[in-house]
Amino acid sequence: MTRSRYLGLLRKLGVIAITLFGLLTMTFIIGRLMPIDPVLAVVGPDADSSTYEQVFREMGLDRPVWVQYQYYLQAMLSGDFGRAILTGSPVVDDILRVLPATIELATVAILVGVGLGIPLGVYAATHRGRLGDHLTRLITLFGYSTPVFWVGMVGLIVFYAWLNWAGAAGRIGFAYDGMFESYTGFYLIDTLLSGNLEAFFSALRHIALPALILGLNSVSFLGRMTRSFMLEQLSQEYIKTARVKGLSERSVIWKHAFKNIRVQLLTIVALAYGGLLEGAVLIETVFAWPGFGQYLTDSLLMGDMNAVMASVLFIGLVFVFLNLLSDVLYTLFDPRTRS
Amino acid sequence: MKNQQTLRHADFPLSPRAGVMPGKGAAFLKSFRKLCRNPLSASGVVIVAVLLILAMAAPWIATHDPLVQDLSRVLSAPSAAHWFGTDEYGRDIFSRIVYGSRVTLYIIFLVTIIVGPIGLLIGTVSGYFGGWVDSVFMRITDIFISFPSLVLALAFVAALGPGLEHAVIAIALTSWPPVARLARAETMTFRKSDYVVAAQLQGASAARILFHYIAIMCLPSLIVRLTMNMATVILTAAALGFLGLGAQPPLPEWGAMISTGRSYMLESWWLVAFPGAAIMLVSLAFNLLGDGLRDLLDPRTE
Amino acid sequence: MALLKRCLIGLLGLWLTASASANTPSDQLIIALKMSNILSLDPAAATGNDIAFVNANLYDTLIELDVADPTVIHPALATDWEVADDSMAITFTLRDDVEFHSGNPLTAADVVWSIERVLDLNLALATTWKALGFTRENVAQLVTQTGEHELEIAFPRQLDPKLVMYTLATSPSAFILDQQEVMAHEHEGDWGNRWLTTNAAGSGAFVLGQWIPQDRIVMAKNDRYWGETPVIERVVMRNLKESQTMRLMIERGDLDVAIGMSVPDIRSLENAEQLEIQTTQRGTLYYVAVSMNNDILADERVRRAIRGTINYAGINDSIMPYYGIFHQRPVKLGLPATLPEPMYSLTTEEARALMAEAGYPNGFTTTIRALNESPFINVAINLQSSLERIGINAEILSGTGNQVYGAMRDRRFDIIVGRGGGGFAPHPDSNLTPLLLNPDNSDEARLTNFQGWRTGYQNTRINELITEAVAEADSDVQNALYAEVQSIYEEDVGALFPFSQMINTVVVGGQVEGYRDDPSAMTRLRSVTKTRE
Repeated sequence: MTRSRYLGLLRKLGVIAITLFGLLTMTFIIGRLMPIDPVLAVVGPDADSSTYEQVFREMGLDRPVWVQYQYYLQAMLSGDFGRAILTGSPVVDDILRVLPATIELATVAILVGVGLGIPLGVYAATHRGRLGDHLTRLITLFGYSTPVFWVGMVGLIVFYAWLNWAGAAGRIGFAYDGMFESYTGFYLIDTLLSGNLEAFFSALRHIALPALILGLNSVSFLGRMTRSFMLEQLSQEYIKTARVKGLSERSVIWKHAFKNIRVQLLTIVALAYGGLLEGAVLIETVFAWPGFGQYLTDSLLMGDMNAVMASVLFIGLVFVFLNLLSDVLYTLFDPRTRS
Repeated sequence: MKNQQTLRHADFPLSPRAGVMPGKGAAFLKSFRKLCRNPLSASGVVIVAVLLILAMAAPWIATHDPLVQDLSRVLSAPSAAHWFGTDEYGRDIFSRIVYGSRVTLYIIFLVTIIVGPIGLLIGTVSGYFGGWVDSVFMRITDIFISFPSLVLALAFVAALGPGLEHAVIAIALTSWPPVARLARAETMTFRKSDYVVAAQLQGASAARILFHYIAIMCLPSLIVRLTMNMATVILTAAALGFLGLGAQPPLPEWGAMISTGRSYMLESWWLVAFPGAAIMLVSLAFNLLGDGLRDLLDPRTE
Repeated sequence: MALLKRCLIGLLGLWLTASASANTPSDQLIIALKMSNILSLDPAAATGNDIAFVNANLYDTLIELDVADPTVIHPALATDWEVADDSMAITFTLRDDVEFHSGNPLTAADVVWSIERVLDLNLALATTWKALGFTRENVAQLVTQTGEHELEIAFPRQLDPKLVMYTLATSPSAFILDQQEVMAHEHEGDWGNRWLTTNAAGSGAFVLGQWIPQDRIVMAKNDRYWGETPVIERVVMRNLKESQTMRLMIERGDLDVAIGMSVPDIRSLENAEQLEIQTTQRGTLYYVAVSMNNDILADERVRRAIRGTINYAGINDSIMPYYGIFHQRPVKLGLPATLPEPMYSLTTEEARALMAEAGYPNGFTTTIRALNESPFINVAINLQSSLERIGINAEILSGTGNQVYGAMRDRRFDIIVGRGGGGFAPHPDSNLTPLLLNPDNSDEARLTNFQGWRTGYQNTRINELITEAVAEADSDVQNALYAEVQSIYEEDVGALFPFSQMINTVVVGGQVEGYRDDPSAMTRLRSVTKTRE
């Protein structure tokens, strides 16, 4: 590596550090601005004022804001995110506990997105301007335009209430609670490892619908991006050369054009994954999925400041990380930047 | 995802020839005709036009008062008297949707007039001057972009308290950064153009160059971006309404209608189906329109 | 390809068979409820009905009230009790065969310690005790151990002994904790509060197994329970916010008990033969309250106009079924002291005349705060449209409990649709003290636990009568005092207008027997059984 590359890396790290500092400050501001009274959340609406004041002091709310900010930064930098009111346990424990549910959901959803979106995009690009292309465009725009929570509700009615194909709320049937070992926190894997096939199918029935609906948005995103990347490749000279050489259309598309967009797609998939975390907030509410999104909305509505600040910070970090990852992937693998 | 779309625009900046400056009227008409030639974009135009008409002529189109309760005909199914049925207070859903278009347009309009100028200003200033101004502005945008917009909007509304105006502010706060980034990228490509350099040589002030030359050249791509953004705004507003943090009762906001209708959904599907369809249709229309505009204003980004 | 196809068909088959078998296991009781109010299991800090329900199964109280007739007191940990001749103390004799879940024997020391703990921690539930005159300072002298299994609770002032008994039976702070076990987990002098937030140390019929906050609580039966051993092996409580989901699941038999379903869903189950809909009166009241700190609303004529304009019949017929029943008095239904309903109602003209008389012929603009959930928001919307008829233009500000009641505690509200007023105990005071008493109306007093102070309504005669009645042991004299309070309140147009009394509705699956919802929210699951379908 050359000197300038090191400098570039340092610069990048500096930028990330500043962004993180900004994230911390912004979460603090959000936490302070909330009109929700965190003391009230602890003592309940009927406590008398001596109880109220006692808890107010215990929570450090009697100190000046800048002192609170200082404490907050110190605590955050030392990895102490405090305890959540909602659960009474350290926020970090909470986040680690709810995270597997969301990761499991988002992962299945991204599989849906990749599995449907990319072929759709390739198809549209190779049928450019024809009916299939227009249809794809319409479908993907539909994906962008549907309110996820609404589709979730309609899906629940049709597939649970009417057809009984899908599971209802939660990650698994209630009767299977605690009936299998928790190795990874991912129910689909845990149930299989425990050899409890029935529980596995219950988990599968529960995850299928929310994941499919959550995945719709990434189908659109990936579909449109794939189409645009493919079109760019298909207009290149080497494709013409390949065609002139008499290669089959199939191999021109998959072996040449598609091969060249794989890296770009990878970076896009990383970003789409971040988008899924966002969609999870709504989907988890509709499907009572005990994951990160629900934890975040619950604590927001409760005025649980520690939990909100840590969760918002966490999701900001994930986004920064995913953006960074997609940058790194790009610089590492892209033939143009490599040369 | 939003930032990726911006990046994409940044990679393929628009050229200034995109038909805004010379012979405005004729060119606009020509562009509009071209836009309508694509059936998808045309349907977008039609739906948006219908939305505008609904909002403007709501009192004549609506068959009932959207707020008047009639506890004797609660939850009646769609019929000749109530085309989309009635809700849990006996209010006519069709009329509520018609009036709800006003709420939707109000949100879109407010967010757009907040976000457009702010994004344009920050983006162009930052792109034109570069240096530390650019660094400061871009770090701030980075921070905002680091949060998923719905989560940030949620946090802001939770902080400000529920309500339509607060929802507008929260959505605006979360949607200006991509616009600013786009404006910045555009500005950076125009900064060195002969057109701008000539103006600089003539001694035009920085402010004049920014507002008279660069801002105008950024407009086409900005319009595309803002149109696409409108679809997102509708969805975010509906999501906030759904979580009970957006418009407050008795305002017939579509997301809030779904949220309250949800408890009656199993028997009375119409409470949820119609507002949901309305949100989807309008959001789709803005997406179609934005997509069409982009093809028109900037064919290279396909 | 053919193999793949066969696999897929196989999978689909399994999928569909899995969906067919959905009934709950017969030795487990599966209960769905909203857990958003279950924050801490510590009896000293726990607020809300849901925690009382959970803790009633993990812990025991000295005495219990009868589920059907709450004025009948049954022995529990205490076998015997005796009120002193001067009505200034009660002595309790405890069972000598009780073991905590930890194996430690239960003694009078644990009881004394548990009560002391509540007052010394001074968390949410200390309020109940402080209202009776117990304080952190005097509790050690008043609550004393007199023998291994004997203790005395002396009163800080003249009190109706029934009040103390009812508090011991119904307050979620009256559970007896295992002193040794709790103190083993003490952290910086917190009386084990942090540990008890997520753990339990009781002697109840069930032992806390797993608690994942906001997700599930699993309890296993206590084989060494001093009473009849529970039949159910395992109780699983699940957090379920969606009423519709609850409904679908209980219809399918995926659930045994559903708590907190919304009315449209309960209605749809009315004809389901295999389900039982249990409604139980709770002492809490639904009310519309106005702030006396608002100059317009402080005008008695305006209050009278509003009180008469509320659509009591409409609200109770169309919104309140399964949430509450019509009631307008500040004392709950069914007590000898409760007066007949005053039947407030005014025509639009009468109300408008009152408004004009008060100087607001064209009405005014104001706000209504309400929880963003049924029935509060629905009542607020109905109230909004009623008030519009008399020219009052009210904007609804909906929010979470914190936002709504927080504003009320800070006296920053105009009109509020709320619920409150204790009412756990079958005694008028359990409503009147929280709702009407207001010993000091100054802003500095911050008597935030009194709704009387929150609304800014103060009537010295009412204060005197309530205080006098609490000290009165003779029922007839006491009832007369309470009757006077209600008449004065009606005449004076107090700031809080009850419109309904709370009903708790629980949907119970037909396979479940012996589930009786308790009027004080202390529903005990020890006698529940399940039959195989």
